[in-house]
Amino acid sequence: MRDTAVGNATLAKTRRNSELLRRLVKNRALYLMILPGFLFFVIFKYIPMGGLVIALQDYQPYLGIMNSPWVGFKHFERLFAEPMFFTILRNTLLLFFMNLLFYFPVPIVLALMLNEVRREMFKRFIQTLVYIPHFMSWVIIVSISFVMLSMDRGIINELLVMMGFEKINFLMSNEWFRPMYVLQIVWREAGWGTIIYLAAMAAIDPGLYEAARMDGANRLRQIWHITLPSIRSVIVVLLILKIGDVLELGFEHIYLLLNSMNREVAEIFDTYVYTAGLRQGQFSFSTAVGFFKSIVGLILVMGANWLSKKVGEEGIY
Amino acid sequence: MANKRASMLLAAFTALAVTAGCGSASTGGSNEPEQPANNAGTGAQAETKTEPEAPKEPFKLSIMANLHTPEVPSDKIEKLVEEATNTELDIQWVPDGTYDEKMNASFATGTLPQATYIKNQTSLIMLRDAIRNNQFWEIGPLLEQYPNLSKLNPEVLKNTSVDGKIYALYQERPLSRQGLIYRKDWADKLGLSAPTNVDELYAMLKAFAENDPDGNGAKDTIGLTDRSDLVYGAFKSVSSWFGTPNGWGELDGKLTPEFMFPQYMETMKYIKKLHEEGLINQDFPVTSKTDQQNLLITGKAGAYIGSMGDVVSLDSKITEVNPNALLDVQNKINGPDGKFGIWAIPGYGSVVLFPKSAVKSEDELKNILAFYDKLMSPELANLIYWGVEGEHYTMEGGKVVPIEDTKITDRDVKPYQALQIGGISTIDGFFEAKHLLPAKEKAEQLIVDNNNYLIHDPTAPLDSATFTQDGVRLQELIKDATYKFMLGDIDEAGFQAAVDTWLKQGGQKIIDEFNASYAQAK
Repeated sequence: MRDTAVGNATLAKTRRNSELLRRLVKNRALYLMILPGFLFFVIFKYIPMGGLVIALQDYQPYLGIMNSPWVGFKHFERLFAEPMFFTILRNTLLLFFMNLLFYFPVPIVLALMLNEVRREMFKRFIQTLVYIPHFMSWVIIVSISFVMLSMDRGIINELLVMMGFEKINFLMSNEWFRPMYVLQIVWREAGWGTIIYLAAMAAIDPGLYEAARMDGANRLRQIWHITLPSIRSVIVVLLILKIGDVLELGFEHIYLLLNSMNREVAEIFDTYVYTAGLRQGQFSFSTAVGFFKSIVGLILVMGANWLSKKVGEEGIY
Repeated sequence: MANKRASMLLAAFTALAVTAGCGSASTGGSNEPEQPANNAGTGAQAETKTEPEAPKEPFKLSIMANLHTPEVPSDKIEKLVEEATNTELDIQWVPDGTYDEKMNASFATGTLPQATYIKNQTSLIMLRDAIRNNQFWEIGPLLEQYPNLSKLNPEVLKNTSVDGKIYALYQERPLSRQGLIYRKDWADKLGLSAPTNVDELYAMLKAFAENDPDGNGAKDTIGLTDRSDLVYGAFKSVSSWFGTPNGWGELDGKLTPEFMFPQYMETMKYIKKLHEEGLINQDFPVTSKTDQQNLLITGKAGAYIGSMGDVVSLDSKITEVNPNALLDVQNKINGPDGKFGIWAIPGYGSVVLFPKSAVKSEDELKNILAFYDKLMSPELANLIYWGVEGEHYTMEGGKVVPIEDTKITDRDVKPYQALQIGGISTIDGFFEAKHLLPAKEKAEQLIVDNNNYLIHDPTAPLDSATFTQDGVRLQELIKDATYKFMLGDIDEAGFQAAVDTWLKQGGQKIIDEFNASYAQAK
């Protein structure tokens, strides 16, 4: 009796296995196409994750992962005990939310506007114009804004003086750092961000607009009732992806803007890791900070995804 | 002796600032200005091909060094060095800006070359742990076997040492080039002479800002131009004029960091006053070196405090803008106590370490040291520093005049200067440079004169584990507070609070560790 049961189970298992094998063979072309991508993720994304263990060690490069001493959560404790920890966490999250609030809608609005432009030539021209900043490096953008915002004959301050106002210390004050940061991002990325939205809008059935016009809808009504609902899922997906980058605020950008006078609002995890960790060769501590950052990012993405499913959208997985 | 040393230092300076000529075959007088690197190399080789095959296999040597030029170097000089030393060189050039990262990565993956250049003192300090852990060869006891290497200055070697043992060959650097560069034509017009103390300096800066030195009727000039660098910018030099120690100093018989000295506070107040009265560029805590120099070049500012050797490049650029502009240099600016002092670097720039992971045996190490010994001979030292006579420089009265085309020297010679070991005071027969610009000639003399007033950093050979781990981050605290004080964001109590934070977050440990190490070294 028991023998038969075991026999049946084995039989089922073998059948399942051969089934899988048969399917693999049958669709071998498809699986072969997946292979490079699969290998890419294994080699470049998953295997390096093993390196995270050095966050639990006092890693010494010449000893390697195998021989470095284990120290448990020492580096995490150091991070949480860090006097700057809450400032850094606050700055990171605040900059991220400002980014989300003030930058994220801009490409959508810009795309809606571009979509309404009927002259194809003109539309192309504007599109190209707004893409260009994306190809400039942060060094250039920050340098340009330094020249313009400088207290010593920066053009903006000169204008302020001419109009009878006081000079404003944009570059070295806590108050102006965040607006400056967000504006620079908007200037650089807004045009580039429209690409996906424009593509989504191009896929909308023109019949819908015709029908709406027949019903007497004006342009704004058409945007509100047709264009926006049609790109809603794209917006949600991009929003979730954006949240995934939550703590990737752009090291280079912030590092360039950061100085002694605005550190209280500008120091984020990336810049902190750079000064406290990498410049002094503290690999373990840096890894611990990076790990912590990733966990926060993961939580936020999962939360956003859950929320988007709750409200009836698809989410990203 | 003093004179000789002086003139040697002089030459070294020029060379560093001017960019020496570059080398090719010694017989070749032909200038091949814009030829691509490869061709230049073979062309130079052609004439030396007649040399009989070397009896010994050339020794293979891999080197990693930092590259200060934007372009890939030509292999002209490399070929000549290979021939002269019977070596096959494999030089890995890493741009200076990313050098430390690359080095750390190579170290982590065990792929350091046999001879690894370490960028500067800071980078060397970070490697102390690894050095202690036996990752690099100790070379101290071997040095005396080599005629040239044995001439390296023991004091400077000590500054590179770890626990009293010597692991590195060093590249000599003049001890202090710091001083004032100012607009002589402006000063003359306003009836001012070179400032000899900090009050006169203040008066000069004030006059430059307020008395319309450029005579255009508008109040559009400032006194001092500075940049976002508390060390190589104006701050540290001014602070030594005020009598602040260099990094650390003895206070009541105990080593104490400079910012706890009253003179440091005096310096901050001085700069704060300059800032309040608009005598210094308002954005100096975020100003780049280029922008800082541009303020002087375009006639907006009249004074520059930094390396006096900069006068050459500043002069050539300023005369392009304004042919009547005249620059002069000055070093002795006394503090309120009537004394003059100037901070000094520990006497070395880059150093070379020999990783055990790449150098497998002591014999191999000896071969490498023999190579460096030859490289330190006057012939090869001049070759890697100045290039080839007739091609990269000409001799005038026993002094070197580099060719004017810096494109050629940038490609052929300047990169190889990074390989140099020792320098003008340790190599007999190293060429001096001839200075065509009087201000430069004077700057070189003043740099030598600075040697009489040096303030050394007593912690250079000392060790503190906490400093190695947290030093950079803690220093940021003080840097921030210093800028905030100078810009009027915080007052004395606020600065004191920052110092207290520094002490609490590890500073006190650093003080204790340095003092323990100091007592041990005594």
